[in-house]
Amino acid sequence: MHHTYRMFVTPEMKMADIITGNPYLLVMLEHLGINMEVREKSVEQICDENRISTELFLTIANMFSGFKPSSETKYSYGTVQTIIKYLENSHRYYLKEKYPQIRHYIGEINKVNTHAEILMIGTFFDKYFREVTEHLDYENEVVFPYVLSLNEILAGKASGNETDSYSVTEYREHHDDIEEKLADLKSLLIKYMPQKDDQQIRRQLLLCLFELEYDLKIHSMIEESLLIPVVEEMERLAGGER
Amino acid sequence: MSKKVTDIIIVETSAIIYEGLFGILTNTGHSFSIHPAENLLELERLNLKNRAEIILINPVLIQNQEKHFLSLKRELAGARWIGITYSLIDPRVSSELDDVVNINDSPEKITTTIHRQLLAEQPAGNGIQQQEVLTERETDVLKLLVSGNANKEIADKLNISTHTVISHRKNISQKTGIKSVSGLTIYAVINNIIKLDNYRE
Repeated sequence: MHHTYRMFVTPEMKMADIITGNPYLLVMLEHLGINMEVREKSVEQICDENRISTELFLTIANMFSGFKPSSETKYSYGTVQTIIKYLENSHRYYLKEKYPQIRHYIGEINKVNTHAEILMIGTFFDKYFREVTEHLDYENEVVFPYVLSLNEILAGKASGNETDSYSVTEYREHHDDIEEKLADLKSLLIKYMPQKDDQQIRRQLLLCLFELEYDLKIHSMIEESLLIPVVEEMERLAGGER
Repeated sequence: MSKKVTDIIIVETSAIIYEGLFGILTNTGHSFSIHPAENLLELERLNLKNRAEIILINPVLIQNQEKHFLSLKRELAGARWIGITYSLIDPRVSSELDDVVNINDSPEKITTTIHRQLLAEQPAGNGIQQQEVLTERETDVLKLLVSGNANKEIADKLNISTHTVISHRKNISQKTGIKSVSGLTIYAVINNIIKLDNYRE
């Protein structure tokens, strides 16, 4: 984790200052759907304007600074909506931006470095990307709709028993590790891959991998320490109602 | 094991001491990744097995928890334990620590102590290897692994237990930084452990 950016974010801080303190928060704002034009506004003001719980914002922002969430996040309708939105947006960021960028760099390296191993890296990545896509699609198509419909039921906005068929426990089991192969890719590129006229592109590729890794780390932390406990609480609540 | 970032855990209840050490360590310009823990239980939960290199700990948190401490010490093999002393320290505890820093030490003295411990010779058999070259046996395991054999099959072919295969695989991953079989396949090709002709998707 990047510990150079270790700033504990509090509600009255200026949003612009915390971004300057840790530029990775720009991606966080994007995942939360917050406009980048922050002017002189404080964290709390911007959260209110965007109808995002300040507490949740702080929890996530401080994860970006390397702090573990200090207490359990309590269930609320808005919290769930925000978490799911964050996760969905970050999926889009991976699938539409980060992974294509990585693929592009590998292709560029291929143009100047024709070592057979580089071709293998391409194949490795394509296979890995299929796995990632599969995992993210599963979350988009099964997990998130389940959580959102459970949320509607708890808010009294919908009724139904369709949620009986699924439980977040299954999700926990299904929750495999996409970070592992990313780390493999990094090790191969940093330590072993023969180099030939590709230093610049390789550096760009590696920095891109580091960015992705950083975001993925927070992503799975959010899933594990925010989403899953909240959904377990939701399931208890919903169970009590039935 | 080559690694740029050194993982340091600070086990301390006082926020002032924690932040103070944090500030001193981050100002050294070295890449330290610093993790807080308030007691032994939290330290255990950080799950930094094989990664933690330095553990700075307030010895008071060890007192009356010696058993837990000793088991963690075994588990976090390879880590150097440095006491954070305020004044006097129980000699029974200090004998279990590798070094101490005192809260009255200058920042230079504190960082010197930490570096001395980082450079200190690792106790034998702790899994952290300076050598990254695979042993002959590990190479045998890798060869069979990347040509599609399961642990059980590797064990049978090499006449060793599955348990041994697993421990070889762990070492291979630790040395290379690569965990997946497909990643290891590429490693094996680059290092001429297998021929590309033998490699098929």
